[in-house]
Amino acid sequence: MTANFLIGLREGLEASLVVVLLMAYLAKTDRRHLIPRIWAGVAAAVAVSAGFGALLTFGPKGLTFEAQEAIGGTLSILAVGLVTWMVFWMARTARTLGSDLKSRVDKSAGGTGWGLAVVAAIAVGREGLETALFLWAAAKATGESTQPLAGALLGLVAAAGFGYLLHRGVLKVNLSRFFTWTGAALVIIAGGVLSYGIHDLQEAGLLPGLHSLAFDISGAVLPSSWYGTLLKGTLNFSPATTWLEAAAWLLYVLPVLFLYLRVNRKTPSSPAASGTNPAAKTVAA
Amino acid sequence: MPGFTLPKISLPGNPRNAVPAKLAAAVVAVPLLLAGCTDNTKASDASGGAIDVVSSNTDCKVSATSVPSGNLTFSVKNEGTEVTEFYLLAADGLRILGEVENIGPGLSRNLVVTAPAGSYTTACKPGMEGDGIRGALEVTQSGNQPSADADFQHLLDTATTQYASYVKDQGEQLLTGTEQFAAAFAAGDAGEAKRLYAATRQHWERIEPVAESFGDLDPQLDAREADLEPGQEWTGWHRAEKDLFPPAGYTAMTPAERSAIADRLVADTKDLVERTRTLEISADMLGNGAKELLDEVATGKVTGEEEIWSHTDLWDFQANVDGARIAFEGLKPALLQKDPALAASLDEKFAALQAELATHAQGAHFTSYDQLTPEQVQRLASLVDALGEPLSRLTAAVVL
Repeated sequence: MTANFLIGLREGLEASLVVVLLMAYLAKTDRRHLIPRIWAGVAAAVAVSAGFGALLTFGPKGLTFEAQEAIGGTLSILAVGLVTWMVFWMARTARTLGSDLKSRVDKSAGGTGWGLAVVAAIAVGREGLETALFLWAAAKATGESTQPLAGALLGLVAAAGFGYLLHRGVLKVNLSRFFTWTGAALVIIAGGVLSYGIHDLQEAGLLPGLHSLAFDISGAVLPSSWYGTLLKGTLNFSPATTWLEAAAWLLYVLPVLFLYLRVNRKTPSSPAASGTNPAAKTVAA
Repeated sequence: MPGFTLPKISLPGNPRNAVPAKLAAAVVAVPLLLAGCTDNTKASDASGGAIDVVSSNTDCKVSATSVPSGNLTFSVKNEGTEVTEFYLLAADGLRILGEVENIGPGLSRNLVVTAPAGSYTTACKPGMEGDGIRGALEVTQSGNQPSADADFQHLLDTATTQYASYVKDQGEQLLTGTEQFAAAFAAGDAGEAKRLYAATRQHWERIEPVAESFGDLDPQLDAREADLEPGQEWTGWHRAEKDLFPPAGYTAMTPAERSAIADRLVADTKDLVERTRTLEISADMLGNGAKELLDEVATGKVTGEEEIWSHTDLWDFQANVDGARIAFEGLKPALLQKDPALAASLDEKFAALQAELATHAQGAHFTSYDQLTPEQVQRLASLVDALGEPLSRLTAAVVL
């Protein structure tokens, strides 16, 4: 029960974190009307994942292990690209908030809004297939015991609760800190997603070095423990990390975070209050 | 997973939302299209069932230590209290051939892996950490090669390539024979033309389904008088047949008429041979073609309608059976993999029909159809029917 609960929690957190931060951002910037697009992306990903999961569990064909890993890995890396783009887009639009350019930004956000749907779909979809396979397996087992399914669903609900609290929490954060905070968090999350994606591709045999570990602290941070689950669910932290994963994480997080913070530093301390920000032309993204 | 947070916001019924939904669905689905699929249900062919794996917190029980090669299905059940994973690793214990992750307590998940003969390592990882609880698995040679799919396609490709060569060869012989026949016919040398008639037509009859795929040429070359549609000009083999084997009261053709029929016959045959050269032949055409040939036998030859004046139906009969047998034999290596029983049945029934046909042959010649007794026709008909049933299953067996 606990173990199944933790699976639901971990997968739920992995899927929802990016979505929650994107929605908080839209709420903060008075673009709540774009939030349905995020929901549309999420709904599409859930429908597709659940559909394929059911098909692969009950249909005549299953995915090969390599294919399953390759899909997860590819979607993860795609998600990283999209989230990175979102982070810089947010940094850029944040700066013009409250200015007389707002209406123009809103217009362009109309186009980017569809991008939000795609980001949400990918963030959820990359975890969706695996979660769906688990849930269908649990559903199949309900004849014997409803515990696995109940446990997993409770985990998902808990992850939803966490997400909701996080959403409420970040809404209370002061605006300028919110942007730095959210963007940095997204960069670090994306770094975790990237290294997770690399690991998937290593398992699929598409990338080498699956057994060259940079560190293995899985004795101290048990993957099945609640803190291991949280670390994995939020940061995609793996206690046994390969050199390639570690290198990808560092090579992504360090330069992107540096560029992101530099863009933010050029932003006046209170971007919402400033309508005359000349730095808008020198956006790093 | 989603479906939570922000209870205030719900999905509006705005139709514009269909756009991102579709876009997102496409983004998620495309990699799936590119990905490999594997059979869910096909269990290990020789052992006839899944290999049961029971993973507990301290144990990893695999129901077999030696299994025949092919598609292996592991049914992994987690009876422990921790989440577990199951791996099939290469003999080096490193390379992953397949894994199922996230098997929660009380759950079963299947892993299907295509494995060639060799030594493997199995591993359960309760708690998802460390090297797991390992065991050895020996996969023995079953003759069922894991690369069977690639091999199978190769077998089909070989069959179609060979059949294309056969069609080309028969086409060339048909053209040579037709030119000789046409020359004799146009010159009024009825003896020579009669001698060439049935033998040349055999080349046509052997590849008739291919020829019939060109809707315009078939009636020009092979229409029977009884089947002519109003206004249709009667040309081709049977027009010449009637002149060579004239019924009572028939008015013979003039030399000019004969010449025209002969020229047309040669021109149409050239056209046919030209077109067969660029024809793409597929495995299903072979299978269906074989069946069509046998249907031809059943509807035209057994009844003696095809050669109503020359009574050389048994020549055509033999040629149709030849053509069907060649197509079947081309597909046989593939069929042996999919349905060896059907292959054996077809072998037996072709042989029986051929043996019966042989009783009516005198050297290269066949008994005139009107000499056959009703009992002999009946025997032939029942053998054709017996062959037709398994032959109708040939295409589905190799193509599906």
